[in-house]
Amino acid sequence: MFERLRRTRRDGELSDGELHRAALKGSGEAMAAIYRRHGGLIYRFTLQMSRNETVAEEITQEVFLALLTQMDRFDATRGALSTWLCGIARRQLWKYLERGGNANHGDFEDESAEEPICPSDGPAQLLLRREAVDAVRAGLEQLPLVLREALVLCALEEMSYEDAAQVLAVPVGTVRSRLHRAKAQLAGLLRAEMGNTARRRA
Amino acid sequence: MRSNPELDGILTEVRRDHRANDAPASLEPVLRAAAEGRKAVPAGGRPGFKWSWAAVTALLLAFGIAGGVWQLRTRHQSTDQQVQSAPVPQVRVEVVVPSESATEKRSVTASSKREAGAVRSRAPELAASPAQQRWNALDEFVPLPVSEGLVPASDLSVVRIKVRGSDLQQYGLDAPGDAATQMMLAEFVVGEDGLPRAIRIVR
Repeated sequence: MFERLRRTRRDGELSDGELHRAALKGSGEAMAAIYRRHGGLIYRFTLQMSRNETVAEEITQEVFLALLTQMDRFDATRGALSTWLCGIARRQLWKYLERGGNANHGDFEDESAEEPICPSDGPAQLLLRREAVDAVRAGLEQLPLVLREALVLCALEEMSYEDAAQVLAVPVGTVRSRLHRAKAQLAGLLRAEMGNTARRRA
Repeated sequence: MRSNPELDGILTEVRRDHRANDAPASLEPVLRAAAEGRKAVPAGGRPGFKWSWAAVTALLLAFGIAGGVWQLRTRHQSTDQQVQSAPVPQVRVEVVVPSESATEKRSVTASSKREAGAVRSRAPELAASPAQQRWNALDEFVPLPVSEGLVPASDLSVVRIKVRGSDLQQYGLDAPGDAATQMMLAEFVVGEDGLPRAIRIVR
């Protein structure tokens, strides 16, 4: 709770609730501020789950428009705006995925991601590290959706278990267990990848 | 949960790449415009706003219903006047009795000559009854009693069918005497709603 208050009122900024009320009164600036504050989370979550930039953009737009059209459903006293928005994004995502929208895995190419070069690493270590990161990325895409969404929210977005549980509409224990299973699967994939690399080198 | 340092380290790198994805800036003006489009709506009074709309809608509905009822009653009155005064002008024959109609029509015509004589011979004793008077008037189209209160039809058709005299009771007509058991050719004026408005007996 205190964490939430601190998060929404840092540096004298308006809280999410205040911005929301201002947006409902027709303040475009307030709406833009909400988007700048939470748009990244929603877009990244939808992108990571759908692997499709167009879909992620569409869902992100729908989610923020819902803030204007479904204003009665958001209660700032009951939960964080980010959680509420993420929950809407998740519902939209599942609708898309249930229509078979996840068939297109090739749209998403993260070419901008360059591995940082650590001066102490030799070329062999760098190569190994890169292969490991690629293996985990590939493994992330192969995870079942329910495990993937838990991993994206908790491990990549560093959301608390409680907030993730609210987004996923499951108990906190379920979030923990899904995260554990997701990491276990990734670790297995990583071990297999490392074993393959070692065999190739041998 | 048992920690896996190697996996956690790799996930940190994946997270860094993941966080590098910003929300598309192209959406910001769209959302800004959507919010500014709400300026015309009073934000504080949403429930009242809805109730006022509901009240206006209910009022309009009430006016509409009242107007519709008034118009319907006016039309019925004018229809009655029209049907009673006009001998069904400008109608077209759409249906003629099919297949066996030819033979039936002939037999009816032949027998109707014989019956006409019989009816004429009994004319003095039946002439006094109102039913007979109405029956005799059926040589020309007369409005059906059951058509009272129907919405006036804009597209009228004449349908010719064979009926038994007693069948005409359902249309509010009494076939007198022998005519009740006889088959006869009748022409019905039918509106576009399929309901008969007037009848004529083809003698």
